[in-house]
Amino acid sequence: MAEVVFEKVRKAFGAAVAVEGLDLAIEDGEFVSLLGPSGCGKTTTLRMLAGLEQPTGGSIRIGETVVNGVPPAKRDIAMVFQSYALYPHMTVAQNMAYPLKKRGIREPERGERVLAAARLLELEPLLARKPRQLSGGQQQRVALGRALVRQPRAFLLDEPLSNLDAKLRAHMRAELIELHRRIGCTMVYVTHDQLEAMTMSTRIAVMNKGVLQQFATPSEIYHRPANTFVAGFIGTPSMTLHEAELTRHGKDWRIEKGGFQLDLPSRHVDAVAAGGPVQFAIRPEDISVGEGSRPATVRVVEPTGHETILILDCGGVDLTARVPGDVRLRSGENVTVSIRADRVHVFDGVHGGRLNTDAPGNSAAAFVSRSRGDH
Amino acid sequence: MQRPSFRARLVVNVVTWVVVLAVAFPLIWMVLTSIKPQSELFRIPPTFLPQSITFEHYWRLLTETPFLNYFRNSMVLSISTTAVVIVVATLGSYSLVRFRYRGREALATLVLFTYLLPSVVLIIPLYLMMVGLGLSNTVFSLVIAYTTFALPYALWLLRSFMAGIPEDLESAALVDGASRIGAFVDVILPQALPGIISTALFTFILSWNEYLYALVLVNSDSVRPLTTGVMNMLITSFNIEWSLLMAASVMMSVPLIIIFAFLQSFLTRGFGAGAVKG
Ligand SMILES: Nc1ncnc2c1ncn2[C@@H]1O[C@H](COP(=O)(O)OP(=O)(O)OP(=O)(O)O)[C@@H](O)[C@H]1O
Ligand SMILES: [Mg+2]
Repeated sequence: MAEVVFEKVRKAFGAAVAVEGLDLAIEDGEFVSLLGPSGCGKTTTLRMLAGLEQPTGGSIRIGETVVNGVPPAKRDIAMVFQSYALYPHMTVAQNMAYPLKKRGIREPERGERVLAAARLLELEPLLARKPRQLSGGQQQRVALGRALVRQPRAFLLDEPLSNLDAKLRAHMRAELIELHRRIGCTMVYVTHDQLEAMTMSTRIAVMNKGVLQQFATPSEIYHRPANTFVAGFIGTPSMTLHEAELTRHGKDWRIEKGGFQLDLPSRHVDAVAAGGPVQFAIRPEDISVGEGSRPATVRVVEPTGHETILILDCGGVDLTARVPGDVRLRSGENVTVSIRADRVHVFDGVHGGRLNTDAPGNSAAAFVSRSRGDH
Repeated sequence: MQRPSFRARLVVNVVTWVVVLAVAFPLIWMVLTSIKPQSELFRIPPTFLPQSITFEHYWRLLTETPFLNYFRNSMVLSISTTAVVIVVATLGSYSLVRFRYRGREALATLVLFTYLLPSVVLIIPLYLMMVGLGLSNTVFSLVIAYTTFALPYALWLLRSFMAGIPEDLESAALVDGASRIGAFVDVILPQALPGIISTALFTFILSWNEYLYALVLVNSDSVRPLTTGVMNMLITSFNIEWSLLMAASVMMSVPLIIIFAFLQSFLTRGFGAGAVKG
């Protein structure tokens, strides 16, 4: 178990930059998710941490040691590969025993640990099979098992649940959280799945195009997105960003876009950034349909069952709102809405940084120490 | 898929059998000739099946000629060449596929280029080099010579095999605690095994059947391999000992047949599938 620190890490493949200026301090025992669109450098970050890829610049520290140049075997890290990377010529049992064998753990302990992991992952009946005789989900569990037999300083998991069905995925998610609580090991978890990241992580690192956008707790990421990318990326349905003018209006701020006007409390926006073009976004749950007096027209109705997603035209601005599934609305209908002005996200119109006065520093205080309950 | 019609299958079968027979007939004739008594060989009309069967030619070959000596030379020669080529080509192809260094692609192309040169062009320079090294007239000189033309092909063959092995497999082994050599032995070698076996087979057959280099580089009877040895011994300007020649040919083919039979099960066992998610 150890903390993991990236300092100004950069990785370029020839001219293509995969990771740029990455500063990331993961505390001992944390469960950190790397979240971001495809090709944003998540796998590259993990591979650098595992020692499979040498950073082009910067340094990586695990515990007390700077590990640049340290071979993977000496880093004491377990990794689940996005491609599973099971050894095709070995049985499931041999696959899972391999890392133990390489670390000189003898029978019978080796067999016991393999069996324990197999039991956890419901792989017991498959131990004698070869990987090619397994389904995708089973292969993925073997890959997970090969990491879980060990007690490394950190687990690196590259989308380890992506190929499981919904039920098994929920089950494995619970198992991973439980495992993390029990052994308190540092985990770095790559996922495409926001829900996974939100439910499992102590902190989430959102990346885009090789650059870290925000590193904070799930709640902070959701409620105080650091920039327009995070705002648009996190949340389902996602927030739409609108370009608008921010002006003083008496003591308050006023957002204006065409016929749309919204007054924000004076303390809501950083005064330094006063005036000029901004972008703003509103979470669906901060819009109440059928309340207030702001007129809007229903443009699109998307029923999902327990709730219905609405796209409303509000003075020329498209707003996404959600209503309970039993509310009957048709497109073209006129409604009234009220917007919680104190929850509106305002970003700089040029560089996209957050302008709200609560703009997050990645303060350590924000780290909810769920993982440390057992210390 | 639709089952082919009876006519189509008939045609395919007939064509196949004609080809098989055309290829097999000389071999069958070779075996038959080797067990016919001398008196029956040149009879007109010729007999297809021998009227009486004799193994005297085999006996004479083994006891009265240096056949066994040639056989041993050929074995030593082919096995050594195969061993050298496999070791160098396996490591070399791995390096060409996995490591990034200057001139890697150029090197690979250059290797292929040497393979494209007709071997006749290289005989004289090679011979002079062997003499210079004091290796002329040794089995070792033939091992070196055969390696020069088997290696480029072997490298290319194995390179494509190595390129097909997912890099993540090796990465996984490294993370699991293996050293680079350890990962190579534990993961890469088993994956490349079908490729290595085919390459070994190819190299062995090439060295076993090689004639030209053996003729030029070696001229003392004690180090001759089978190809030149048998020709030298049985074909003189006065006479060709057909029965002995056929018996020798049969015995020359036996090792290849055995090796093929043994390795074929390896080749078809089907390695590799299901390594990583597609
Ligand atoms: N070996 C390589 N050579 C060249 N470019 C690479 C290499 N590995 C990764 N890249 C590039 O680096 C960028 C980041 O890749 P990476 O695999 O880290 O993405 P990712 O975030 O894991 O994406 P995904 O979610 O699709 O797995 C991509 O643009 C990719 O094309
Ligand atoms: Mg990836």
